[in-house]
Amino acid sequence: MMIKLALRQAQLDPLRILLTALAVGGVIAVILVLEGFEQGQYYQLEQIVLNRKADLIATQSGVTNFIAVRSSIPQFSRAEVESVNGVINAHPVTAVPIIYTKNNVRTPVYVLVYDVKGGPSSIIHGHAIKNGNDIVIDNSLAVKYNIQPGDSFYVTDFEFKVSGITEEAAFMMPFAFINYDGMLDLFIESEIAPDLSTFPLLSYMLIELEPTADRDRVAQQIEATVPTVDVVTPKQLAENDVNMGKVFYGPIMGLLVTIAYIIGMLVVGLIMYSDIRSRLHNFSVLKALGFPFLKLFITVLLQSLLLLLIAIPFGILLALGIAAFIESGSPVYLIRIFDPAIFLQTLMASFVFALIGALIPLHVIFRSDPMMAFQRT
Amino acid sequence: MFHWIWKSLFKQPGSLTGSALGIAFAFILVIFFDAVWQGESEQIIAYPDNVKPDIWVMQSGVSNMHMASSFVWDWKADKIARIPGVKQVTPILYLNNVITAGETKMFAFIVGLLPDAQRAGPWSMSAGRQIKNSGEAVIPDILSNLTGVNIGDQLSITDKTFTVVGLSSGTYSSANAVLFVPFNDLEDILSSTGTYSYLLVDVDDGINAKTLAEQIRYEVDKVNVLLHDEFIRNDFSLARQMGVEVIIIMTVICSVLAALIVAFTSYSLVMSKRQEIVIIKALGAKNRSIFFSVIFQSGLVTMFGFILAVVFAIFIIPSIPMLVPQLTLIVSMSSLLQLGVIAFVVAILGALLPTHLVLRLDPAAAFHV
Repeated sequence: MMIKLALRQAQLDPLRILLTALAVGGVIAVILVLEGFEQGQYYQLEQIVLNRKADLIATQSGVTNFIAVRSSIPQFSRAEVESVNGVINAHPVTAVPIIYTKNNVRTPVYVLVYDVKGGPSSIIHGHAIKNGNDIVIDNSLAVKYNIQPGDSFYVTDFEFKVSGITEEAAFMMPFAFINYDGMLDLFIESEIAPDLSTFPLLSYMLIELEPTADRDRVAQQIEATVPTVDVVTPKQLAENDVNMGKVFYGPIMGLLVTIAYIIGMLVVGLIMYSDIRSRLHNFSVLKALGFPFLKLFITVLLQSLLLLLIAIPFGILLALGIAAFIESGSPVYLIRIFDPAIFLQTLMASFVFALIGALIPLHVIFRSDPMMAFQRT
Repeated sequence: MFHWIWKSLFKQPGSLTGSALGIAFAFILVIFFDAVWQGESEQIIAYPDNVKPDIWVMQSGVSNMHMASSFVWDWKADKIARIPGVKQVTPILYLNNVITAGETKMFAFIVGLLPDAQRAGPWSMSAGRQIKNSGEAVIPDILSNLTGVNIGDQLSITDKTFTVVGLSSGTYSSANAVLFVPFNDLEDILSSTGTYSYLLVDVDDGINAKTLAEQIRYEVDKVNVLLHDEFIRNDFSLARQMGVEVIIIMTVICSVLAALIVAFTSYSLVMSKRQEIVIIKALGAKNRSIFFSVIFQSGLVTMFGFILAVVFAIFIIPSIPMLVPQLTLIVSMSSLLQLGVIAFVVAILGALLPTHLVLRLDPAAAFHV
């Protein structure tokens, strides 16, 4: 009976329902985009490590992160690591952070130098690196500076040629990939560093293990044999980066999401309040007919939930549209709307704010006078 | 008509308050976003802005500090120091890295100071003392509060451990906590010798810094030489650029949300007063005056929301860092003015649907029973 009443009420004014669904959907979309933005940052931080496709990763002793960190390993360590039983190869990777400047617009770029493994995980335009002058850049750089494969890409005074475009960014920073020939040319020809020893020539080693090797045992053996390095699994390293990201983004995003939830609660409350105000006479009739307050409250609650059910698809569609818009305009950001845990959490929280919103107009019903049922409207 | 609209609105204070609050919070989200980025961007440049030399000298191709790395031969500092008009040259070593303080790992800017450095260190201490010996560090007081690492405790940068001897104030932001350590220790971490990162050049009284900067550029190869203001501008613009797209997009989303709330309120009011509007129309009121009345109504609701948001921005936002000390929030007057313009557009957009409905109402309906 109460469900039927709530449904009939919703059918009375479809335009109002549409506006309501858009407003509540808009709030849900804002929350999903904010949560998706945060989760996207963590996902990128995780993937940038996992995409290097290593069984184990060696870092400078004491270094526990991959991004935003300086790791410098002595070059002779590579041979020492490769001498450990179970290790097939220790592929070198060097991280060189630069600030790319064109037309007075600056962007921090994380350049990864690789030999065989550790290069771009995919190429969406153009081709992989073939020689020392080639560079593969993230799509966000290509969009921001309107760069196509074949265009020049200057790092200080050294000219690279963009051979391909990839999709790898993390920590709001696009990545670029060059090989070791390119790095040496960059260092020497551009005199980027007065002393080459200052720049790390080897930052990480992507360790490839024999299929039968025991990963934990090999890691322990490497650490025992080569004291200049620490060895971790890619998953551990990715987790460390995600945790660092949470320290950075957590407080800001937490506060923004809280404000978005308050807006959601107010919007639902406002809608329910004005709806009940406009139907105060109906509630008085129901009261005069002997409906207890609890049943009237359940009607309001059901109506609020119904609104939410209509608004959720709107919200999801809107959020997907916003995410697609952001990602196409600024591909450095990834908005993970459908991150399972967060998506469900947002929907559950939406139900909570719908519930709280439904409580806001309760005093109006409580105070409605059954005598009003006998007055002319 | 305007009088009627005014009275109708205030007859339903609950709806008015709810709408104004909804709109206010949508605007607050925009203000908050901007305040975070503005605050963080300004805090990111806190170090270079406070040490404030006349001239910055760095590696060729580098033109800022945030997220950058720069290395300059040490002899170039000596050469610059000998140029007439140079009062003093203070070299620093600088590194962006992850530090481990207590259980927390976070991104930080680490500044290596020479033992005899007269400047370039923390500009304000809230506890303890400046670094004197190897293995000592000065950390931001907020970092100390957040991590529980206090004076006498230890923190690590890569595999090197430091003992905290002092807490500095004004040196923390979510994007970069500024730590001060001895030059030699940072050299060890970087495995570098004979190089500096940046040279802070002060000029003698009466010397034109711009002319001197040109002379340094002419006399010293492969360095970039910038006046302080330009260096700060570069750093600030880089920090702002990293989040500016997000701010714009969130401003658009929240403004659309505010417009929807305005539309809903105006629509509800118009629908509840349908009969009265029809009678007014039957009595000869022109469509134009009804149209402007509805715009006036949505303008009023939006204005209340905007005023609430501005009050919140001016009085509440500055207190938020007391609860969340790791955030630096700065509300700029220009962003509030921009929001004022947006609020005006929101009011117009929010009124479109209700005005369309009002104009379609048939005056003949006034005589229906």
